[in-house]
Amino acid sequence: MGTIGRVSAEPLTRRARLELLYCLAGIPLGLCVMLVPYLGVGVALTVALLTPGRELTPVAGVAAITALLLLVVLATRIGRGLGAVHRRLAARLLDERVAPPPPPRPGRGVLGRAVAGLRDGPGWRAVAYQLLKLPAAVLESYAVYLWAAGLVNLTYPFWWGLFRSQPPGVTLGPVPAASPFPGRALHIATYAGTFVALAVGATMLLAAPWATRAVVTADRWLLRRLLGPGPLAQRVRDLEQTRALAVDDAAARLRRVERDLHDGAQVHLATLAMHLGMAKEQLGEDGDPPDVARARELLEAAHRGAKDTLGELRDLARGIHPPVLDNGLQDALATLAATSAIPVELRCDLPERPAPAIETIAYFCAAELLANAAKHSHATLVTVQATRRDGMLLLGVGDDGVGGADPARGSGLSGLGQRVRTVDGRLELASPPGGPTRITIRLPLRP
Amino acid sequence: MRVVIAEDAALFREGLVRLLQDRGHQVCAAVADGDALLAAAMRHRPDVAVVDIRMPPTHTDEGLRAALELRRRQPGTGVLVLSQYIETRYAARLLAGNASGVGYLLKDRVADVAEFADALARVAAGGTALDPEVVSQLLGAGRHAHGLAALTRREREVLSLMAEGRSNAGIAASLVISAGAVEKHVASIFGKLGLPPAEGDNRRVLAVLRFLGS
Repeated sequence: MGTIGRVSAEPLTRRARLELLYCLAGIPLGLCVMLVPYLGVGVALTVALLTPGRELTPVAGVAAITALLLLVVLATRIGRGLGAVHRRLAARLLDERVAPPPPPRPGRGVLGRAVAGLRDGPGWRAVAYQLLKLPAAVLESYAVYLWAAGLVNLTYPFWWGLFRSQPPGVTLGPVPAASPFPGRALHIATYAGTFVALAVGATMLLAAPWATRAVVTADRWLLRRLLGPGPLAQRVRDLEQTRALAVDDAAARLRRVERDLHDGAQVHLATLAMHLGMAKEQLGEDGDPPDVARARELLEAAHRGAKDTLGELRDLARGIHPPVLDNGLQDALATLAATSAIPVELRCDLPERPAPAIETIAYFCAAELLANAAKHSHATLVTVQATRRDGMLLLGVGDDGVGGADPARGSGLSGLGQRVRTVDGRLELASPPGGPTRITIRLPLRP
Repeated sequence: MRVVIAEDAALFREGLVRLLQDRGHQVCAAVADGDALLAAAMRHRPDVAVVDIRMPPTHTDEGLRAALELRRRQPGTGVLVLSQYIETRYAARLLAGNASGVGYLLKDRVADVAEFADALARVAAGGTALDPEVVSQLLGAGRHAHGLAALTRREREVLSLMAEGRSNAGIAASLVISAGAVEKHVASIFGKLGLPPAEGDNRRVLAVLRFLGS
């Protein structure tokens, strides 16, 4: 489908429909916000009107001030309540999921609660949203107007004949039709003119989804900014999440080390001790052993076991912390590249060494990504680069393989992403089916 | 002796098979998980089964569970459980009121071939073999430091060996003293700790362990 096809089909998409619905719902919500201050003023006015005579006007004044104070005190609560409605609406219709802000601090007593309400930052942000929703609602009504008026304009040619069959000699005035500018109507006097209305209507309908989207996009931005948890609370939430990930990751790694020791070195050593014990038995306390060949065989097995255990322990130690990392990421990556199953093109340009923890994370990411490439990509060349960009360590691993890497399919990528996030790093993946795959990891130089 | 082995590490399993065959025992089956152990024990009706605690699929305590199940189904078959760690809780589950034909040893003990073979024979014959590590953990828990303080050093050694499931003759051989001396020590220990006199090695083990674990 070409661009023209896409543009002309846009008004029919589900997304456009849902956004229109959101605008429609936004109009009464925006208006209802406008009512809130008027309620306060209304109370004051009612009191003023109900008090006869001039001498009682102070009562009206007091009532007005009380209503105003009440409004200020309750503003954050009202803001939060309406904010929740907006968040739900946005989640339902726009799929824009904004986390709720942290609950306000509870206050004790009437005064305490009033003060808590006044000091409720997220509550005031919600109020700000409601105020900004007013102009937004005006724009949203314009978007709705484009839809509705456009549709009406389309119908002009069909009913023209029904109402314009006046006897000859009678002149009827021109009929107004909507234009894209509300308040400036088109005037249709002839049947041919109805096609102008139709054309204008079609144009308005084509423009309507884009106008809607523009307004909704602005509204989304406001929603995220003002009805979300706020930057600090969001940061706390992120840190809580990444801390949990880091703790889980550390525990999982310890478990893996224990498992490796248990299934590897410990078994080897137990077997080795068993072989030595058996050999000792064969050799006896003193004198010539009855079966020298058997004893020799057992010693041979023990010797082999000792060497295997050494290798096992060396691999395990390297898995915990590769000693070559002490010389810097450059050397460590070069070692990795040299042992990779696929040829690696390495480019390393780090004028200053990142913190050891960052180097370790970068190293293990590179190791895992190289292993992934060797396992899944069918690539003939992998490029690895470690550079510094914008004060961050940038680790790029790309290959010319088949692509289609998907973190959801458990290729260890989501685990890497989590580990990277624990230090506020980011992992970006581009791996379309058919390749190539390119993974970019950004890490701060200091954790 | 007819033996069935359940151990998932192939290297160690093969070593065990050779060790037992070298000593003239018949290894009926050597398997790698709990279900296979139960099936093999059902088929071969061995005198004793050697079982690793941590085996697939969960790598936690399926060996122990299989061993308990085996004891329930075939009380006549001794069960010697091997592990790389000692957990006193596992020992308690394994003994649970009946110390006959049960053993729980660290895998390290296999290196002392003669002692291991002795422990296995004991279990096969309906006796008990508890790892010194289990006993020392119980002794070290300090729950009965007061009662134990009344024992002499020799008596403590005898107590440990008793808890491991050794017979008087075994204790005598291990400490290089006479059987009569062992008997005297045992009587003294039971007196000092206020334990009821127990007939038979297994009951004695249970009495001692119950005291240490209570």
